[in-house]
Amino acid sequence: MDYDVLVVGGGTAGMESALTLGDMGYSVVLAEREPTIGGKMILLSKVFPTLDCASCIATPKMASTFHHPQVNTMVYTEVNNIAKTARGSFQVQLKRKATYVNSDQCTGCQKCELACTVAVPDQFNFDLVARRAVYIPFAQAVPKKAVMERHGISPCSQACPAGVKAHGYVSLIRSGLFDEAQELILEAIPFPATLGRVCYAPCERACTRGELEGVLPIRKLKRFAADHYYQKHPQAKPAAVENKHSERVAVIGAGPAGLTAAYHLARRGYPVTVFEAEEKPGGMLRLIPPFRLPPEVLERDIANVTALGVEIRAGERVADPVELKKQGFQAVFLACGTAKDKKPEMEGADLKGVTGAIQFLRRAAASAKPSLAGKTVLVAGGGRYGIALDCARTARRLGAQRVVLQFGRSRPELASVEWAISDAIEEGITIEFHKAPAKLIGKDGKLVQVESQDVQAGKRDPSGRTLPGLPAETKSAMAADLAIMALGQEADPKNEREGLRLTKSGTLSVNAQTLETRLPGVFAGGDLVSGPGSVVEAIGTGTRAAECIDRFLRGEPQTPKERGLNLPGVDKQIAIGRQEQYTLAPAAERTKRPVEERRDGFAEVELGFDEKTARQNASRCIDCGGCCECHQCVSACPADAIDFGMRDEDQTLEVGSVVVSTGFDLFDPVGKVQYGYGRLPNVITAMQMDRLLSPTRPYNSVLRPSDGKIPDNIAYILCTGSRDCQIGNELCSRVCCMYSIKQAQLIMGALPIADVTIYYIDIRAFGKGFEEFYQQSGDMGVEFIKGKVGRVEPTDDGNMILHYEDIAGGGKLAQAEHDLVVLSVGMLPNQDALSLFSGGELAADAHHYVKEIDEDHSPARTSIEGVYVAGSSAAAMDIPDTILHSGAAAAQAAAYVERVKK
Amino acid sequence: MDDRLRDPREVMREEMLMRDQVLAALREGPQTVPEIAETLGSPVHEVMYWVMAARKYGLIQEVPEPDDDYFQYQLAE
Repeated sequence: MDYDVLVVGGGTAGMESALTLGDMGYSVVLAEREPTIGGKMILLSKVFPTLDCASCIATPKMASTFHHPQVNTMVYTEVNNIAKTARGSFQVQLKRKATYVNSDQCTGCQKCELACTVAVPDQFNFDLVARRAVYIPFAQAVPKKAVMERHGISPCSQACPAGVKAHGYVSLIRSGLFDEAQELILEAIPFPATLGRVCYAPCERACTRGELEGVLPIRKLKRFAADHYYQKHPQAKPAAVENKHSERVAVIGAGPAGLTAAYHLARRGYPVTVFEAEEKPGGMLRLIPPFRLPPEVLERDIANVTALGVEIRAGERVADPVELKKQGFQAVFLACGTAKDKKPEMEGADLKGVTGAIQFLRRAAASAKPSLAGKTVLVAGGGRYGIALDCARTARRLGAQRVVLQFGRSRPELASVEWAISDAIEEGITIEFHKAPAKLIGKDGKLVQVESQDVQAGKRDPSGRTLPGLPAETKSAMAADLAIMALGQEADPKNEREGLRLTKSGTLSVNAQTLETRLPGVFAGGDLVSGPGSVVEAIGTGTRAAECIDRFLRGEPQTPKERGLNLPGVDKQIAIGRQEQYTLAPAAERTKRPVEERRDGFAEVELGFDEKTARQNASRCIDCGGCCECHQCVSACPADAIDFGMRDEDQTLEVGSVVVSTGFDLFDPVGKVQYGYGRLPNVITAMQMDRLLSPTRPYNSVLRPSDGKIPDNIAYILCTGSRDCQIGNELCSRVCCMYSIKQAQLIMGALPIADVTIYYIDIRAFGKGFEEFYQQSGDMGVEFIKGKVGRVEPTDDGNMILHYEDIAGGGKLAQAEHDLVVLSVGMLPNQDALSLFSGGELAADAHHYVKEIDEDHSPARTSIEGVYVAGSSAAAMDIPDTILHSGAAAAQAAAYVERVKK
Repeated sequence: MDDRLRDPREVMREEMLMRDQVLAALREGPQTVPEIAETLGSPVHEVMYWVMAARKYGLIQEVPEPDDDYFQYQLAE
């Protein structure tokens, strides 16, 4: 056996059972699902009837338990299953939940919590105040170690092919930490401003808020972070990256994949040289027209790469990558893209006036731009990432009188975002869907007319995209001076060499895991391998390539990179379900330059956010993943204790006996609609009042939650959720009368001028000193009204009118005004333990508490021999009774362990 | 009509947006929660969450003696 006894639950009963057994010499494992032991008692102000400080009693007990040599306390641990073995012991399956903070290194300084940008309700203060996603439960927590609430990877972050932590930068922008947002983005990519403009934003498609009123403008928030940063830092600061490694790496192609690989390799300390055949780096990004991506924005992004010491040798075409290896480069990354137009197989394709999309955009990007004044231009094709639209809109800006775009599929397939189409239409582009040119007709070798055919809708491929449909009978013709054919791209065949053969589709084959080609040490990625794709996907492969090359150069095994460390994504419906209701706030409208200003120029069309709009939009994020991965805690932690690589661990133990001490639940008074809880801010529960009275209270005093007013006329409504068949709990909770009287006395001490009224059915003062305690409170001025409260109604000033049956006054209906109402909520059975056992049922009594099968003669025994129940898992009871009951459970467990050992 | 209060989780989440505004309001001098709410134009019971969170994390503190029935809050020293 690993331990003599398992104690499930580290509240008062669990701690007492564990200590008693430990003191007797038994080895005990105590499993507590919260990050601290102490249960509910440590959260109380004082205990009745002695008014001893609850913390002063509970804290030493927590410390004794945690440090007891015979007790192994496992916090943040779930018991998943307990099965009895043939020899009478128990097989226990535990899940030790990842805290994402190394507890050996954590000093409990709370700096991570102060830096965290995600605010969530503090369950240890019963939602009266916020805590952070990374948090220490409270000052007296044992152990006093931080834990991080992570539900998984947020959908937006998970969707990014480049590994940008979208949730993280959204949260930082929400918090006004704009530079930090930019720095977080730069951890993943060197092109924040570019992607903030041209990315097709898979993050937005994944955004959970889309299930409500609409997604967050995540792409534009990225743009905001970058623009804000670049405005302050127009020049990239040369980064002090030490060349830790001597191995030199060559990158061929300065497009998004190549530059990203260079960026990450340089950050890892490799000397990197990028060879680019064109005169300027940027690859396909250079061909995105300025009205979508201003060249200076691209330049500033590229400066993030060169600032790391990456050498870009533009205008230098590399004939043979193997030659580079001979020159001393230990690894080569081929990322020369698919920068060549596919030639259409169409009559007239060789006519003057027929050009490919890339060729056209390249000419348009030159400083001496061609003029299309008065011309009629046909653009054919689509390209999911907008190249046909770019051509059409550029042609318009170059003076074309008429621009027609013919696309053989439907409207949603023309662009990744609808507004890209509507922007073009606004600018006067005519778009004809389900239509494609069939023949280009020339005169004297020059294009004069285009004959087109309607195209039927094709079937859908597995990705959902429709395949090209068959031509229909309908034909049409239009005069045209220029036809721009955006019908696909391919790799330049000049890139072919031995060992680097292109496939039929014009791409290069690599090992899918390692990105290595057949030539050792030569890697490839980006469009060259995948075919024409999006910028963000090319950037993603650049990141992967850097990882693969790094492993290759370090001689490490080429295991697949665990992006996001394989934490699963968050289920959107679960994320949404954390709130009962949402305030719907649509995203800010997309702002753009007026159409009359943009037809004739290349000024950027889409406008960015100002600070206020950015923060407001970011604040719509619902924090799906809990922790947003903004990494502020990592920067703040002086002990380097944050560990995002931690994972839940399953553990199996054999124990001799089990003590169930899972405690009780509190009644949720939302179910008593007539009392207004959840609707009236000044109706709180007694547990919330205990927090307000505690030395570690969430406010600075006992205050009204509605406005911070010091209350002076407080009402208690007893038996809320107890002795109430309407809510299915006919039992008396045994503690409500006395804890209410305790609180009344404490309030009179804290707020000497306050009046306290307790509305009761009858006062049950049955324990030692209870009656005297009750009488004493009356003497202190607490008013007791025997009467059942029927309903609570608000007044205009935040006060409440209580309508009650005045039983002592003859049963007449009466009403009274108070400025704070406390609901003395009852105890309910915690039924979690009932489902822990397999192979034998842990029986419940008629009220769903764990059943004691021989309560009178053998307290704590349950329906499973060897399993004992302690404290309020068995019935509602106060702290002294819990201590007694736990002693009985411990003694029974010890006796059983002795029998098993024999 | 649903007259329930906004979900506390939603209000607390907005703390990260509203914190700077709360602190900016207090730069003018100590204020009570209703006064801060008036400055911000937000519901008082929601401002209570943001003020108490800012207090919890040491950004603001109460003026020791309450003014009538309300404490005033000021930027932490």
